[in-house]
Amino acid sequence: MASIINSISFKNFFNYYGEYEDTRYDFEEGVNIIVADNGAGKSKFFNAFLWLFYDQILDSDDKIKKGIRDVAVKIISDKAKNETVIGQNVETGIQIEYSTGRWKYKIVKSFVATRIRENITAFDSWQIILNDIEVYQTDHILPKYKPVYDAEEKNNIIKQLILPNLRQYSFFQGEEVDSIIDFGKKSSIEEAVRTLTDISKYEELVALTKDFKEKAEKDLNKQTKSNSEHNERLEKAINLKEELEKSLENEEIKLGEFVKLYDEAEQEKNELEQNFSNAEKRNELDNKIKEKNKKVNEVADEYSNFLDGINSRFFDGNFSWISLGFENIETTFQEKIQKFREMHYEKKALKNITEDPNKHFHFLPLDSPDSVSLKNMIDNEHCFVCNREAKIGSPAHEHFIKLKNRAVDSKNDIEFVKNNLEGFFGGLQINSQPFYNKITNIEDSILKTREREIDLNNRLTKLKKELKLLKDQRKDILIAGSNDEDALTVINRYKGAIRRMESSSLQIERLKENIKKLKTNIQNTEKEVQSLRPTNIPEGYLLNYQICADLADATEKAKERVFNNMVNLLEKYANEHFQDLIKYNELAGGHLKFDKTPSGAIEFNYIDNKGNLVSGAAEGFQRMKKFSVVMAVISANTTKYNYPLLADAPLSAFGSAFTEGFFEATGKVFPQSIILVNDLYDKEDEMKINELGKKIIKGKLVKRVYVNQIKEGVEQVDLVTTKIKLK
Amino acid sequence: MDRNQILKEILNDKELCKKWKIDNVDDLSITPTSPYYNKFVEVLALIIKENDNNLSDSIIYKKIKNLHNIG
Repeated sequence: MASIINSISFKNFFNYYGEYEDTRYDFEEGVNIIVADNGAGKSKFFNAFLWLFYDQILDSDDKIKKGIRDVAVKIISDKAKNETVIGQNVETGIQIEYSTGRWKYKIVKSFVATRIRENITAFDSWQIILNDIEVYQTDHILPKYKPVYDAEEKNNIIKQLILPNLRQYSFFQGEEVDSIIDFGKKSSIEEAVRTLTDISKYEELVALTKDFKEKAEKDLNKQTKSNSEHNERLEKAINLKEELEKSLENEEIKLGEFVKLYDEAEQEKNELEQNFSNAEKRNELDNKIKEKNKKVNEVADEYSNFLDGINSRFFDGNFSWISLGFENIETTFQEKIQKFREMHYEKKALKNITEDPNKHFHFLPLDSPDSVSLKNMIDNEHCFVCNREAKIGSPAHEHFIKLKNRAVDSKNDIEFVKNNLEGFFGGLQINSQPFYNKITNIEDSILKTREREIDLNNRLTKLKKELKLLKDQRKDILIAGSNDEDALTVINRYKGAIRRMESSSLQIERLKENIKKLKTNIQNTEKEVQSLRPTNIPEGYLLNYQICADLADATEKAKERVFNNMVNLLEKYANEHFQDLIKYNELAGGHLKFDKTPSGAIEFNYIDNKGNLVSGAAEGFQRMKKFSVVMAVISANTTKYNYPLLADAPLSAFGSAFTEGFFEATGKVFPQSIILVNDLYDKEDEMKINELGKKIIKGKLVKRVYVNQIKEGVEQVDLVTTKIKLK
Repeated sequence: MDRNQILKEILNDKELCKKWKIDNVDDLSITPTSPYYNKFVEVLALIIKENDNNLSDSIIYKKIKNLHNIG
């Protein structure tokens, strides 16, 4: 029966602060998903199983697995540590319940830490005492746990959850998937097949029957010699057979050596292919980075110039931002200047009147009499207006003269104020005209400028992100590939490896031919030996040899059949799973192909629709192929796979289209899977998952979904992971 | 792995069955004790069973010889 994890709970374990009942996650048969953003407890959750299986924790600081005792202080929730006063203690632990068949188990691993000093993060501030592993057992009929006391039984119960030799296929974190199946090493697939299938049983039987055949032949030959008179022909035939067998043995040793050479050359070729491909990828990425850098600089300059130019928009007549808010100023100005002028002229007039009322009050029309009439009146000393005499020196004659000179006098009017500000106000009007005309457009102009600023900023941020991504990819390739060798050395080594493969392959063929001939010779000699054997040998020896010889042959053939069937099955299942995984992807068809190499190992390739070998695909695609093979190995196993899949961030390198396929495929292969992901997290969403996540959780195979959360911006000592149950 | 399945797979060879007069391979199974109607099947069943029981090869071979009364 399959092992199904029913629940996991924590007690003050990293951010999982509180008692077991506060932090309990329930699971069911099928797919269970825990969605969490980075830092919200995904890897910590996975660490609980590392503790369960290996008494270890993956130290997030240096990515090294360490013993519980060595990192105990790091494991305790900071909030719990902070709340524990000196002299008091705090308990930290994990509790896992799982069932298999009629039995259900509860396993608790924990320790007690006593605070002895002030600094809560220092290791010497705490005294750690590991508690005994607690294991309880019950059946589904009587749901009351009873403790298990026997240490061996406790260990067996833990082992049974996922058998140690299967954990590499059932329990992994992110990039660990890559090491499960290493396509650079052909033996990797064989190891997987060997671990998960019964092929090794056949190999054992082949070795045994071969050994029994040799033993039976020796026994028979001994009997032959002791029961017959000297028979030169028989002895000669027996000796010939022995010699042929020795030659066969030597040829098989040689074959083994050439197979090894072939394998080594092929492995080197595969590794170099990777390096060569990396070199090409590096070059491609360098060009992309260069291009992207140029673009970033262009946009950054554009953005910077744009920001610099914003100030000038306040005073630039084309934008006139400075006049924002002065919409009514013209009317106010006109009103006030009008008032000012009225008052000014009023006051000026009053002053002039006060000084010379006659100048301002007269009954004749303005500018009359005219200057010619006035001259006649002055010369004739007579006023023709009122027809009266006006002698020189009389007030009337003086008035004539004043009137004649009125044009000159008016220029000499006394101003009311020294500066009537006409020039100033006129200047204001002229200078403000361009600004005033733009006032109605300013808000629109500011909005457009802001939009442009946001757009440029977004473009710059996007480009910087793209540049970082490219640089990260470049960095990853640096780690994976070889930077020490130049391309020419890589190519030469690559060609050398291919030459060695070709020459080894020829030798392998030649040796196989020799071996075939030797085996025929041995069979013929064997027939001769049998015909020459004396008839008085006890029948049992002969029968024993005949049966053992045929069994050796039959088990070898059976092993070959099983192996070939397994390869066909693997190919069938791998393609089924692969199609499931890529079904939401736009990836063009093609299929996975398993072949036997000259050395007898399994070779695995991806062939496109036109029959071309596809290599060097993206990391996500490579990982998808590996998942297909792992799932194929599990599906091809003749016995049902009875263990859950526990995977932390297995999707990190996948595209979203692969992600959807992954949950469907995994649900079909593993009886239960608990997948920890951040790829479905969406902080802004009400449910905290993205659209893809919402689609996935509707799937029939998906049984439980939790979202982990932590409060943003809180101090480390207040950091607590809480969960939302979505399904 | 089912022992009987291994037995059937190894005997899944027409020539071999003809030579040793083995009928109805599909009905064969490894029984806890002898006798078997066919010596060949008996030896094979013994090897599969005792290898599964983790007996050493020399002990298994002795048991085979006993079957032939040549031990």
